[in-house]
Amino acid sequence: MQNGILQTRIENRSFVLDPRTKLILLITMSTFVLGGMGSESASFLTPCLCVLPLFLLTVSKKYKSAATYAGIYSAAYLTFALFGPHTSGCLHFLLLGAAGIITKLMPSLTMGIYVISTTTVSEFTASMQRLHLSEKLIIPLSVMFRFFPTVADEFASINAAMKMRGISFGGKNAGKMLEYRFIPLMTCSVKIGDELSAAALTRGLGGTVKRTNICRIGFHLQDMIMILLCAVPFGCLFLDACGAF
Amino acid sequence: MKSEKLQGKDLINVGIYSAIYFVVVFAIAMLGYIPIFMVLISALVPILAGIPFMLFLTKVKKFGMIWIMSLLMGLLMLLTGMGYYSLIVGAVTGLLAELIYKSGNYRSTGKAILTAGVFSIWVWGNYLPFFLDIEKYFSTRQEYIDAMTRLMPAWMCPALFAAAFIGGIIGGVIGKSLLKKHFTRAGIA
Repeated sequence: MQNGILQTRIENRSFVLDPRTKLILLITMSTFVLGGMGSESASFLTPCLCVLPLFLLTVSKKYKSAATYAGIYSAAYLTFALFGPHTSGCLHFLLLGAAGIITKLMPSLTMGIYVISTTTVSEFTASMQRLHLSEKLIIPLSVMFRFFPTVADEFASINAAMKMRGISFGGKNAGKMLEYRFIPLMTCSVKIGDELSAAALTRGLGGTVKRTNICRIGFHLQDMIMILLCAVPFGCLFLDACGAF
Repeated sequence: MKSEKLQGKDLINVGIYSAIYFVVVFAIAMLGYIPIFMVLISALVPILAGIPFMLFLTKVKKFGMIWIMSLLMGLLMLLTGMGYYSLIVGAVTGLLAELIYKSGNYRSTGKAILTAGVFSIWVWGNYLPFFLDIEKYFSTRQEYIDAMTRLMPAWMCPALFAAAFIGGIIGGVIGKSLLKKHFTRAGIA
């Protein structure tokens, strides 16, 4: 847990984006890279967007994640580019599927990792309050946000434990895989959740008064640049839609 | 006396279970890039995600919790690039599920299973883009479009709807039996 990939470190941050900018980035990435909504005229932008998480991870000094992303993405892209045209039928489909998963999913996933690992829950809550969302959505959202790394972490531990007991795909008890993974995961999630809600309640979450927040968030130059970058593909989409009618 | 309004603790519970639910959904949805699985997902997701959902229902005692979770799923689908359809579908089915569970005073087992079925329909929202504008959705990969249109003729639309619903019911039943086997004994549910 100490060196988890999704844990946020506040110290030694040099390049800080507003959480709202990060959300815009995430939506842009998922719409155009993962969802593939890009129009023809904007298709040249997709590679630019794919480089973006790499850039952001590097400037926030997450070199390991950046290197992993660059390695896996380029490997998948090259594999398909080299072998894709020469295969056919079932093999082609498999290759297309695997390369499709990686080249489409990785950029958005990496962006998600970037967003979660560089935003504290307080910053996130502060930006949600600035957006004037209802408390009823902010609290569950920030809890989820806080909870994803925990769930992933617990799941990895349970996986390891069950593998040791021979309950995995290759093992002899493959049939029990589901039950033996879900139940411990849920049990410990519930326990952690109870502790989490007790901790949150002592900090005044869910009280009748308005909570204050000391996080300084706001838009700066780097936010402007990022938002402009995100506006380009959406603008192209809009222009295309207008041109079609 | 328990108040009818949602307290901080309830909202935190919603967040926790939504996180577990979403992790399960996301893990299964990864399979969707293999075209044949794309169709199966509409049943697989509700069946497996039904287990955490049934545990969640044991914590639901006030109006709004199921609806908020449904909206959160829609928001997360929007953030992960599945389009806004599941947000619209989820807003309706979440409310319906909420009303069904409420009619059983947040206690009835039969209603809980039906709730799981209705709630699961939000998964169907993810498929709507296929039927509405497939050309735009996969504008880059012609082979993928061909595979998808072969798998997804127009009659699949109601079929997927039914698959999500029935999958949700099955998930609810499985979840219920697991709850009985594990959680009630452990004093969690």
